[in-house]
Amino acid sequence: MDLLDNLALGFSVALSLQNVFYCFVGALLGTLIGVLPGLGPVATIAMLLPLTFGLPPVSALIMLAGIYYGAQYGGSTTAILINLPGESSSVVTAIDGHQMARKGRAGAALATAALGSFFAGSVATLLLALFAPPLANLALQFGPPEYFSLMVLGLIASVTLASGSVVKAIAMIVLGLILGLSGQDIYTGTPRFTFDMQELSDGFDFVALAMGMFGISEIIRNLEDEHQRSLVAAKVKSLMLTKEEFKRIIAPVLRGTVIGSFLGILPGGGAMLSSFASYSIEKKISKYPREFGRGAIEGVAGPESANNAGAQTSFIPMLTLGIPSNPVMALMIGALIIQGITPGPNVVTEKPDLFWGVIASMWVGNFMLVLLNLPLIGMWVRLLTVPYHVMFPAIIAFCCIGVYSVNNNTFDVYTMALFGLLGYALVKLDCEPAPLLLGFVIGPMLEEYLRRAMLISRGDPTVFVTRPISAVLLLLAAAALVVVLLPSVQKGREEAFKE
Amino acid sequence: MRMLSAALALAAAIGLSATATAQDYPTRPITMVVPFAAGGPTDTVARLVAESMSKTLGQQVVVENVGGAGGTRGAGQVAKAAPDGYTILLHHIGQATAATLYRKLPYNPATDFEAVGLVTAVPMTMIAKPGFAPKTMAEAVDYVKANKDKVTYGNAGVGSASHLCGMLFMSSIGTQMTTVPYQGTGPAMNDLVGGQIDLMCDQTTNTTGQIKGGKVKAYAVTTKSHVKSLPDLPTMQESGLKDFEVAVWHGIYAPKGTPKAIVDKLNAALDVALNDPKVIARFADLGTEPEPKDRRSPAFHKDFVIAEIAKWKPVIQGAGVYAD
Amino acid sequence: MNIIRNPKDVLSGLLFIALGLLFGWQTQDLPMGTAVRMGPGYFPLVLSGLLGLLGLIILINGLRFPGEMPSGIAWRAVLIITGAVVFFGFGVRPLGFLPALGISVFVSALASRLFTFRTALLNTAVMVVFAWAVFIKGLGLPLPLLGPWLGGY
Repeated sequence: MDLLDNLALGFSVALSLQNVFYCFVGALLGTLIGVLPGLGPVATIAMLLPLTFGLPPVSALIMLAGIYYGAQYGGSTTAILINLPGESSSVVTAIDGHQMARKGRAGAALATAALGSFFAGSVATLLLALFAPPLANLALQFGPPEYFSLMVLGLIASVTLASGSVVKAIAMIVLGLILGLSGQDIYTGTPRFTFDMQELSDGFDFVALAMGMFGISEIIRNLEDEHQRSLVAAKVKSLMLTKEEFKRIIAPVLRGTVIGSFLGILPGGGAMLSSFASYSIEKKISKYPREFGRGAIEGVAGPESANNAGAQTSFIPMLTLGIPSNPVMALMIGALIIQGITPGPNVVTEKPDLFWGVIASMWVGNFMLVLLNLPLIGMWVRLLTVPYHVMFPAIIAFCCIGVYSVNNNTFDVYTMALFGLLGYALVKLDCEPAPLLLGFVIGPMLEEYLRRAMLISRGDPTVFVTRPISAVLLLLAAAALVVVLLPSVQKGREEAFKE
Repeated sequence: MRMLSAALALAAAIGLSATATAQDYPTRPITMVVPFAAGGPTDTVARLVAESMSKTLGQQVVVENVGGAGGTRGAGQVAKAAPDGYTILLHHIGQATAATLYRKLPYNPATDFEAVGLVTAVPMTMIAKPGFAPKTMAEAVDYVKANKDKVTYGNAGVGSASHLCGMLFMSSIGTQMTTVPYQGTGPAMNDLVGGQIDLMCDQTTNTTGQIKGGKVKAYAVTTKSHVKSLPDLPTMQESGLKDFEVAVWHGIYAPKGTPKAIVDKLNAALDVALNDPKVIARFADLGTEPEPKDRRSPAFHKDFVIAEIAKWKPVIQGAGVYAD
Repeated sequence: MNIIRNPKDVLSGLLFIALGLLFGWQTQDLPMGTAVRMGPGYFPLVLSGLLGLLGLIILINGLRFPGEMPSGIAWRAVLIITGAVVFFGFGVRPLGFLPALGISVFVSALASRLFTFRTALLNTAVMVVFAWAVFIKGLGLPLPLLGPWLGGY
């Protein structure tokens, strides 16, 4: 059988001593930069690019891939421990993961993230090996109308990210959408919401926004009552999952893997939606919906699996078509070009050792990450016992360095301070920040796809319902809207009756 | 106390080295600003050249990506940098087109820089979605003229190479198509391969893989001569578009006022890089080659930028598109 | 005071209305276009209006249903933390990376009521060394250690 031969070739490449070494270096480095807030895989890979010139192409790509999915692992650590998401995908993990940490279950949350990621990564790698070319063609079926409908679905689902008032959650999404539009309009180059500041010509920086809204505002809130915060540190209980917790994460991990694997293939924001989508589904079908937002383990297991599965399958368009689905993939294409390989549909047949070697290395890398991360959990959790008045200045330092290093731009640091204040004010008013961040990420894409779909269809709005995939997505969105609004309508009635 | 004095001594040493003379140049790493994201075609060119220049100069030439605002943020940063040769810019054709595209540009592309030398001119290719009816460039021109309301042209955003090529194409055939902008080449290529849009013109760096893999239809290259990596592809001029010629040229710049000795040193290192067999081989993979010897001098580069600004001004003004 | 039953909702409603007005006002100069050929101002204006409307709903809810007062604001932390972050942004270029970082860490430590001079100083020293080892030595970030004000470049 072809597949077995190919996998054998892949593993023979990936398991050579040199490649195992580079895979390990990549995974380790990825974990480290994932843990450090702000410093993402894009910056790290860009810095390491010159180092890869001297390596054979396969080793170079294996290492860079390791950095990418390693960072997905590491990113959840700071989100769980100190409520500091460095990337859009860990925003979701922070919601329930950090609440678990506050209850003394940081160890369990970290273990869930690691195990879920490993399972999802393994399955997604297998999918990649089995179906990469047909999946890539499926992704090509997604035109602007389909993406627009997908974004609408994502937006509606994101209401569930908040556990309080639905109207406030929607208002936060809309505010996020508006903030996301800041910068130059890509159709005309017109600056919008830039308040005449040159620095805003590319809009607000996501890392600055996320760290301000989550990290800085969280610190200020904790300083309101330091006595209470120091009790949290004392509550650290056993590190591993209980039997019951283990049972509770199985189904969310499976669902998350499916969602992430599928959405990861779609270039342009698909992968980003996967953790949000997984969270919404888990919250809606959970037996314990009230626990969500207060430390539900499903809220960590599902999104983390989805996120990691998506990270693996997002390699599909790059490896099979030579089309980058996100900035990290664009960097990998750059690395390949420098190595003298033209990425494109021919790589699979002309360089089978590269294609299969990288795929096999992903499984090897995921395995290493679990081995690397499980023992680290004990150390991370012990970090929580550091007194808060010692820890928070260090967190501030990491936030500053992280935000500054993204673009070497002091403006981003001021942005973080501003959104720290806004985030604190909003939290005081019971407005949760997660929906705002999703709106911020989706906003520009929603508009971009809508306008592009209308341009291509020459202003015919029926494209959204006459194209089958788009129509199905919109139907799902409508169904989700009903599901999201029903409980609040009922609650509203109950409240009305009480009076 | 000892530590303090050591720190002061260190600080003094660093301060001294900053004012060292041109003869010693370079005594510390040089930052080469690329005004686009890492991994893109311009970044690739920069990294190949920087690696070779580092060997010649005996100091690392570190590529720093300062993306944003169509390349003007990175260029503006270098324009304002100290003219000591430790901050240089590698920019493409956008250096000349920004002069017209941006009406409120905070620097002058023609006068705020010392030209160091031209690097390479990357050819572009006109490509179409797989099922697009016309078989040749000439047929495509007729088709576009006959169906101008239906044909869509994708580009990678205002000021990008694909945007410029599209403007030039439309002005040379005298017909406007519906332009569909994207955030970069990746998503545009995705929609072209998926058949959502009809036409695109982009650098060989971005298109060769898809052309060779048969995922898109290729019509012509935009340079005067054929491209080695795609030998069967005719030129635009062979296809009947007499004056159509465009390539994405790249050049290195230093801030205005950089001493001539330093500019010459950089130019000499660039010259060595462009003769480096490894650089030539990698450029060939990208579908391009180093600028010929007679186009590499700072003086030629300086005049070339001024000529290009003049060339693009009417095209951009004619299209009425501005980036601010 | 009796009209305002839920101060949190009333305040957030007002905040959203204010933001809606601010952003709506910012779209004034942008070309609207039509639903078919949307201009750059179309989407932003629709969203700003929507934000204002949602703010109004929240405001009205706050007048109808009872709720709590927001708890006390940690003014000291707000001022000191924001100040420390802004200082880092201000100081990182002229002073250099490590001095700016050290001062920011020390200043932010002041926000805690459990502040002691010794811990803060120790914390600062550890963070500066750690940042130097990890970000400068380990990851090679291109940040100047000392800025021009301290004799660097």
